[in-house]
Amino acid sequence: MSELRKRGLVTAVICSDPFLKLGKTQAKVFGVPDLPLVMIPHPLGGLSLEQVEGRAHVAIPQVVELIKEHAK
Amino acid sequence: MTDLAELLRPAGASLEADDDFEGINKLYLERGWGDGLPIVPPTMQRVEQMLAYCDRPWNEPVAKMAPRYGEATPLRLAANAVMAGCRPEYFPLLVLAIEAMCEEPFNLYGVQATTHLCAPLVIVNGPVALELDINSGHNAFGPGRRANATIGRAIRLALLNIGGAIPGTGDMSTFGAPSKYSYLVAENEAASPWEPLHVERGLPREASAVTVIGAECLHNINDHESLSAEGILTTIAGTMSVTGSNDIYYEAQPLVIMSPEHAKTVAIGYSKAEAKRFLQEHATLPLGKFSPENIERRFRVTFKERYAKAGPDAPVFAVQRAGDIIIAVIGGAGKHSAYVPTFGATKAVTRALKTRDGRLARSVAEFKRS
Repeated sequence: MSELRKRGLVTAVICSDPFLKLGKTQAKVFGVPDLPLVMIPHPLGGLSLEQVEGRAHVAIPQVVELIKEHAK
Repeated sequence: MTDLAELLRPAGASLEADDDFEGINKLYLERGWGDGLPIVPPTMQRVEQMLAYCDRPWNEPVAKMAPRYGEATPLRLAANAVMAGCRPEYFPLLVLAIEAMCEEPFNLYGVQATTHLCAPLVIVNGPVALELDINSGHNAFGPGRRANATIGRAIRLALLNIGGAIPGTGDMSTFGAPSKYSYLVAENEAASPWEPLHVERGLPREASAVTVIGAECLHNINDHESLSAEGILTTIAGTMSVTGSNDIYYEAQPLVIMSPEHAKTVAIGYSKAEAKRFLQEHATLPLGKFSPENIERRFRVTFKERYAKAGPDAPVFAVQRAGDIIIAVIGGAGKHSAYVPTFGATKAVTRALKTRDGRLARSVAEFKRS
């Protein structure tokens, strides 16, 4: 993901709330401290399909925003 | 060899503090440099003494430690070894264990960062285990010996301070485990009826070696009644057969520890390979023991070739391949064995202790600088 980011593509890592610090730290480690993290609520395990869709609805506006920013 | 003062000159490479044990410990805890226990302050003099048993350049990384991918230089490792209370002659083994767990198949990133409670377990084989007085007998996993306690602790401090396994940041373990303080033993080769672990894994008997395993803690296996190999192996296989293990879902390499007494009984008619085959075949549980959600959402989807239409009696194997079971003989008197499941997505790595020119080291004295 960091390599894609370095190539200038729209990139993001989807991350559930408790993993925010790990995500930020890893982004720094791999040389892309500004790598966007698309945040969704925890947990990911044991979700129903409807709940998975719910997570997607949280993520999509954030992804759309990233694409808009990239297009500017 | 580079001058230590020279290496410590760059900004951030060292710090000045009053010679005050309490004050230095407070400072280290505030900066997050440690495991919570008091540390031995890593003064320049102590670090230099530790490096007396290092035959390579002090600032040349021996590995990069995930998840921070911090460079594990001998200098940094020596500081952590001092903090842990190691004797200088332990240092070559610390370096070896770090190199082994940073090899790709071990998946140190996964072992460090996962929500699972695994920690790298280090099993030492060969003459160096005796030379350094590493406990392989009674209470081998417990307190009492400086080598077990402090080499294991130095590994953890390196995992924290160099690898960045900071709780909640680089180590997301839901529970953690007491094995994350220190997790190092030797195999009780003298009491084993079989070839030692490192020999089984391809090294000469005279080699000293570490085997690292991304392991859970021990689960005891009590069998005071079985008088046959099949009896003891049946009890062990039963203990291996549980629904909540990561190993069910991976081509995992879990560890079976046999006490010398159990091993002696099993070895009557069973080689290690045969014992593994028995365990793999018998460590099963019926699919119906798993929750309906696990069956529908995992078994029928991820393992659909085998379980798409399988009924409740279809066997689920605790370990996929017999050869993947690791057997070690450890401990003192007593009719117990122990089962050690793993993180699953990790492979055991065995690495021999060698001097810088590639020769097998027969003693840690070979690492000593003149």
